[in-house]
Amino acid sequence: MTDMSAQTEPLGGLLTRDRIVKWAPILVLVALVLLFPFFEFLEDLLEGKDHFYLLDSRFFSIRNAARIGIAAAPALMVAVGVTFIIIMGSIDLSMEGTISVCAVLFAFAFLGWGGTLASWAWLAIPTALLVGALLGFVNGLIHVRLKIPSFMASLAMGFVGTGFALVLTGGDRLRVEDELFRSLLTERWLNFPIMCHVALAFLLLAWFIQSHTALGRNFYAVGGGEQLAQSSGLNVARVRVMGFTLAGIFFAVGALLAVGRIGIAETATGNNFMFVSITAVVVGGTALWGGIGGVWNTLVGVLIVNVINNGMVVIGLPSYVQDGVLGTLVILAVALSTNRKSVTFVK
Amino acid sequence: MNLERIKPHFPWMTLLALVCVVGAANPAFFDPLGLLSLVTDVVPLFIMALGMTFAIYIGGIDLSAQQVANMVTVVATVYLSQFGIGVAGICILAGFVFGAVSGYVTTRLYVPSFVSTLAMGFVALSAAKYLSGQRALSMDVTERNTSFGWMFDSTVGVPHQLAIAAALLAFAWFLQTRTSFGRALKAVGSGELAAVASGLNVDRVKILAFAISGAFAGIAGLLFSVKLSGGDANLANGFLLLAIVAVLVGGTPLTGGVGGVVNTAIGTLIVMVIRAAMVYLEISATQQQMVFGVVLIVAIALTIDRSKLSGVVK
Repeated sequence: MTDMSAQTEPLGGLLTRDRIVKWAPILVLVALVLLFPFFEFLEDLLEGKDHFYLLDSRFFSIRNAARIGIAAAPALMVAVGVTFIIIMGSIDLSMEGTISVCAVLFAFAFLGWGGTLASWAWLAIPTALLVGALLGFVNGLIHVRLKIPSFMASLAMGFVGTGFALVLTGGDRLRVEDELFRSLLTERWLNFPIMCHVALAFLLLAWFIQSHTALGRNFYAVGGGEQLAQSSGLNVARVRVMGFTLAGIFFAVGALLAVGRIGIAETATGNNFMFVSITAVVVGGTALWGGIGGVWNTLVGVLIVNVINNGMVVIGLPSYVQDGVLGTLVILAVALSTNRKSVTFVK
Repeated sequence: MNLERIKPHFPWMTLLALVCVVGAANPAFFDPLGLLSLVTDVVPLFIMALGMTFAIYIGGIDLSAQQVANMVTVVATVYLSQFGIGVAGICILAGFVFGAVSGYVTTRLYVPSFVSTLAMGFVALSAAKYLSGQRALSMDVTERNTSFGWMFDSTVGVPHQLAIAAALLAFAWFLQTRTSFGRALKAVGSGELAAVASGLNVDRVKILAFAISGAFAGIAGLLFSVKLSGGDANLANGFLLLAIVAVLVGGTPLTGGVGGVVNTAIGTLIVMVIRAAMVYLEISATQQQMVFGVVLIVAIALTIDRSKLSGVVK
C-alpha cells in the first residue's frame, strides 16, 4: 500500500483525496450493481442462451431489490444508530445484546398484553424503544463515568445483554404471529414491504437529528476535536451519553424490524448485527476517527454490504465466502479512509 | 497505604479471598482430585488468555482469538490423518500467520486493532466454514489416540495437559522477562511514542505480539479439538469473553505496559473459581455470561490507567 495522498495530489484539483474518499462508496455501489448482472450475462453467454444485459438479469430486478430491502432494513437501523457513535469518534459494539433484549422483551410484552396490534399490545412497541434507550443510556454511563474506552465498555455490555436475553427466554423462541404486525413484511406498497418504508422514515428522522438539531451538530463537534469542544463549553460527557441512548433507540427499531421479518424473537435475534453494521458504516465512508460521514453514507454502506451478500448468492458463490469478503472489505475501507498524515499511532 | 501501591497485589488477594469464600461455603471444593480436574479443564482457556496477554500488554486487543481457535479445530480435524502429530505445527503456524496479518493491518494500514482483529476473525470464520464444509467433523479415534492420546495421561499424578500449560507459561514468561523482545513489549506498552522516539522498530514488535497471540489461540484450538475429538466452526465460541476477563482480572490493564503472563495465570484461576462458585450456587450456564460481562466491566474500571488516555476516552 502506498500513500494515497501522494498518488492523487499530482492530479490536481479534480481528484483530491477528500473527493475520492467522499465519492468512492457510491461509485463502488454502482459498480457492484452493474457487476453482478455482468456475471449472469457471461454465464448465459457461455451456455449459449440469449441474455440481454441488465434486462434479463435476476439480480437487477424489482423483485430482487425488494429482497435486498428486506434484508437491509433491520441492519440499516442498527447501522444508523452506531453511525452517531462513530461520528463522535467512539464505537458501540453492544448491539447484538441490545437487539436480543429488546426483541425478547417486546415479544413478552406483545404476547402478554393481547398478542395483536389492534389491542393494548401496541404498547409493546414504545416499551421496546424505551428498553433500547435505557440499555444505551447505561452503556454510555459506564463508558463516560467509569472512563472505560467505548469499544470495551460496549463489548462487555453486549455480553451482558446477550446473557440477559438468554436468562429471559431460557433458550426458547417466542413466536409473534399477529397478522397486523407481520404486515411489516407481508404488506407491500410500491413493490416494497412496509418495513422498508418504516426504515426509510427512521432514516429521514436520523438525518433530521444529524443535520437540523443541536445534538447532531454536537456529535460532529465532539468527533472533530473533543478537547476543543470541551473547552468551548460543550458538555461532552452529556453529548456522549445522549448519543449512546439515541443509538439504543435505533437498535430497538432494528430489533422490531428483525422480529417483523422472521416472526420470531430469541436470543439469537441479535446475531451477526455487530459485524454487519460496523462494516456498513465504515464501508459507507464514515471515518472511525470521527467527525466525518453521516447517515446517508451509512445507507450506501448498508446497500453495498447487502448487494454483495445477495449478489454472491445470485451468481452461485457459496455462502461461507461472505464473512471473509466482509472482513477484507472492512480492513480495506478503514485503511483507505485513513489519512496517514493526521494519525500518529494506532492501538 | 495508598491505592496505587497495593494495586499490583489485587489479583492474588482476590484469588485468595475467592478461594476462602468458596471453600468455606463448600468444603468439598478443596478435594485435591476435584481441584486438579478443575484446573485441568481450564487449560485451553488459559492458553488462549496467555496469547491475548501479549496483545493487551502492548495496549491492543485480539478479538480474533476465538475464531482462530475455531478455525484451528477444523484444520486439526481435517489434516490429522494426513500429518499425524505434525498437524500441531500446522495449527500453530496457521494461528501465527493470522495473528501476524492482524498485526500488519494494525500497524501498517493504521486500522485499530479491535477492528482489524474483528475483521480477521471473520476471515478465519470463512476459512473454517470452507474447510469443514459447514459441518461438525469428528476425528478418527485411533488416529487421535496414537498422535495425541499422551495428552490425557498423567505422570506421578500430574496430568500432561497441566505440564503443557506450565511449559507454555514458562516460555511466555521467558519471552516477556528475559529477552530484548520482552523489553521492547514493555516499552511499547508503557508509551508508544517514547518507544518510537528511542529508535525501536515498534511495528515489528507489535506485529510479533499479535502473531504470538494468534499462535497461542492456535494451540488452544488444537487442545479443544483433541479434547472434544472433533472440529467445527463454532467449537470454541464463548471463550473470547472469558479469555479477556482472565487477562484483565489478572491485572494486565487494557492500556497495557504492566502485568504480564503470570498475572494471566492468576486471572485464569480467578475465572475458574468464579465458575466453580456459580456451579455450586446453581447459577445456570446461561446466566454465567451476564456475570462475566459485569466482572469484565468492573475489572477494566479497576485496572485501567487513565493517565495514559490523555484526558480523552473515546
